[in-house]
Amino acid sequence: MATMHRVVQSSVSTSDATTTSYGGLTSCKAADIVISDQFPAGLRVLVVDDDITCLKILEQMLHRCRYHVTTCPQAKVALNLLRERKGCFDVILSDVYMPDMDGYKLLEHVGLEMDLPVIMMSADGSTRAVMKGIRHGACDYLIKPIREEELKNIWQHVVRKKWNENKELEHSGSLDDTDQHKRGHDDAEYGSSANDATDTSLKPLKKRSNSKEGDDGEIDNDDPSTSKKPRVVWSVELHQQFVSAVNQLGIDKAVPKRILELMNVPGLTRENVASHLQKFRLYLKRISGVAQQGGIANPLCGPVEANVKIGSLGSFNIQPLAASGQIPPQTLAALHAELLGRPAGNLVVAMDQSALLQATPHGPKCIQVDHGVAFIQHLVKSESSSSKHFSQSFAPVEDVASGFRSWPSNNIDTAGPSNSGGLSTQNGNMLIDLLQQQQQLQKPQQRSTVSELRRSINVQPSCHVVPSQSSASFQAGNSPVSVTQNGSYSRTAVIDYNFLSSQSNCPSLNIGQVSDGNLQTTGVLSGHIPPASVSPSVSSCSVNADNCASQQVQTSSITAITFKASRRLPGFVHSTSNIPDPYGSTKSGDLLNQEPFNNLGYINKGTCLPAKFAVDEFQSHLNSSSHGKVFSENIGTRVKQEPSMEFGDNAKVGIPMLQQFPPNDLMSVFTE
Amino acid sequence: MSKVKQQKPLCVWNPKPLKRVKPTNKKRLREREKTNPFSFLGQLIPLAKTGLPLWMLGLAADRLRADMNRLLSFLFHQGILDEQFLQLQQLQDETSPNFVSEVVNIYFHESEKLLRNLRSLLMDREFSDYNKMGIHLNQFMGSSSSIGAKRIRNVCLAFRAASDQNNRAGCLSALEVLEHEYCFLKNKLHELFQIQQQRVLAAGVRYPMQH
Repeated sequence: MATMHRVVQSSVSTSDATTTSYGGLTSCKAADIVISDQFPAGLRVLVVDDDITCLKILEQMLHRCRYHVTTCPQAKVALNLLRERKGCFDVILSDVYMPDMDGYKLLEHVGLEMDLPVIMMSADGSTRAVMKGIRHGACDYLIKPIREEELKNIWQHVVRKKWNENKELEHSGSLDDTDQHKRGHDDAEYGSSANDATDTSLKPLKKRSNSKEGDDGEIDNDDPSTSKKPRVVWSVELHQQFVSAVNQLGIDKAVPKRILELMNVPGLTRENVASHLQKFRLYLKRISGVAQQGGIANPLCGPVEANVKIGSLGSFNIQPLAASGQIPPQTLAALHAELLGRPAGNLVVAMDQSALLQATPHGPKCIQVDHGVAFIQHLVKSESSSSKHFSQSFAPVEDVASGFRSWPSNNIDTAGPSNSGGLSTQNGNMLIDLLQQQQQLQKPQQRSTVSELRRSINVQPSCHVVPSQSSASFQAGNSPVSVTQNGSYSRTAVIDYNFLSSQSNCPSLNIGQVSDGNLQTTGVLSGHIPPASVSPSVSSCSVNADNCASQQVQTSSITAITFKASRRLPGFVHSTSNIPDPYGSTKSGDLLNQEPFNNLGYINKGTCLPAKFAVDEFQSHLNSSSHGKVFSENIGTRVKQEPSMEFGDNAKVGIPMLQQFPPNDLMSVFTE
Repeated sequence: MSKVKQQKPLCVWNPKPLKRVKPTNKKRLREREKTNPFSFLGQLIPLAKTGLPLWMLGLAADRLRADMNRLLSFLFHQGILDEQFLQLQQLQDETSPNFVSEVVNIYFHESEKLLRNLRSLLMDREFSDYNKMGIHLNQFMGSSSSIGAKRIRNVCLAFRAASDQNNRAGCLSALEVLEHEYCFLKNKLHELFQIQQQRVLAAGVRYPMQH
């Protein structure tokens, strides 16, 4: 902490009072860091807690710490406040259990959109809960009763985050880039790519991932508050280039420097690539973890947080796609498994598309890879025909379905390689469009629209759609059949039927997104599944989904849920019309309620990346083109993504694919 | 005039014990006032006539302080309150002079709602949603521990354990204990606030000689 202290010391040199009040800061050589004149005093804190008692106590304590406090008893209001005044807060303290929105969801939203450090609080101090908080990306987890001393230290999270960001942007390699497998590469390249003299001083800092022991990290260049370099916007094209570069090199051998060379993008630094690669790798890990856990049938399995994150990300993307159709998670997973080893490029592309396909957060990941490849192809095909509106997203879905149809014939294997080729080329446009759509969808996802989409896309990775439920509307036959079949098809089947619903009401397919570990998806499912259509099993599933933190979602329940989703197809018809609207408007409220993150795999997937890139605007058109745009826009807004956010590409990939499924063909697909 | 031997006055400013003036007719009183060297204490005399001399309020302040300390030490000793309550007291300063009582009143208000919710949930015949109850309970536990109500928090822990096991009977009995503990704490804290209010009143009395 010496560095930190020094930094703080220098910054607070002007305000002795503040320094003295924060005990570890003794007078030390002033680093020339100008964090703020009164750092850490004057730190702007937003406290969100539905318990007024705690809110008042915290407010008083924070006043004592000389922070600027804003309190908010409702999460939604807080989120709106954050959105309105983006640069007005430094750190957020949030309760975990709140009536209107889950604290974890708020956490994800904030992480996605604003990337502010969030500290969770709760009376529940069980390891499980703390772990969940960490997994969702919380900087810290405080257990009530909270003491003043604990609050005095929250400034460290702000500083740490800022420094990490700066380092990532400015210097070769960032502190948070110290991924194990990357370190080898990075370290070697550090010397060569050191941008400033201070970089060398940062090396020791770099070696410690986010550790604060940086001896004297000359942080002169690190000016968190003032000299932040503009973030690199990982647009869809850029990302595709990145992915194809990684594919070429091979995921294991992909070194930032070489990737950079391959990409040949002016203005891109090795650090940007390095951090992006790290995130990509994390995303892959999550996907593979998911794929391995449940096998093909359970693409969804995987860390809940992954799902959550992916979901939130993917939801945006997937929503539009999901709405249009659902790709059975199983198929996606299967595909994913196959393609997992594929070049990242495919994965990336696929991710976006598959995100759509996969409602479940897990599934999409796996499938995304596979699907991504296939999807991209299909997407490309479908893109042209896809309409621009969300409601018309089904068209793309249908295309996807058709593509999907042809896809099986492709084999997953071929899909991969072919995709890689196509990815780089076709993807560029298609993907962008899809991504945009996804992005747009993502946004809505957060809003109520997402919920709708989710419903449609709640594909349960492992569940086999129970035919019984299959509503006539959705050619349910597909799902059950497909479900039983192992391999990708089953998944696709599940999804297909959703999408198949020729009418565009698909989007709401709530395919049992119930990912095994994905509480949220289940929660979402339950949320969306209309009572009427919910079969008893499904409803029980939803209950499970709601509550469970465990990752085992009964397949039966999942299938039931999927069925519900399928059943909902008809119901969704009406909702589709709403979907475009939500995009335009902020249904954040609704979405938030519905736990968009739960949603579906696709949410995670597709939205992962795009979502991260802040779905700031969602346009209602689903079509791939719009997706692409949205995505790029979104990317623009947020470059920095937390690793946990993983790439929403998957989600996106999934979605496009889904959209291509022709309703009618799903059956055939499944029977294969 | 009889000089009643008084206790040594607590007020330093009054080196001599106030003479206890026997109630006499007004005429005599006026005469006395003219000759009384402590005529400047004229206002005190009527007081002394009617009852408790002012200086005795100083005694009351001490007594009140002693009462308050006794109550607090009792509460701490019994484990009803813990050091978090002390932190709460430390948060009270000139800028927020009534911080503790405000927070505690908010706590009471919210807790009553929570307790009522819990009871209605548990009394419901088709009660099955332990989760919902858990959320209420969690909030109650959070605010109780933030206040420093240690015993209530412990009962909440037991309640939560019973709820985790879906033990409805256990939950009901825990709720009973919880309500009892809550009432007890509420009474004690009200008593504490009363004492503090009286102290404020007592301290508000300004003796003329006092600077």
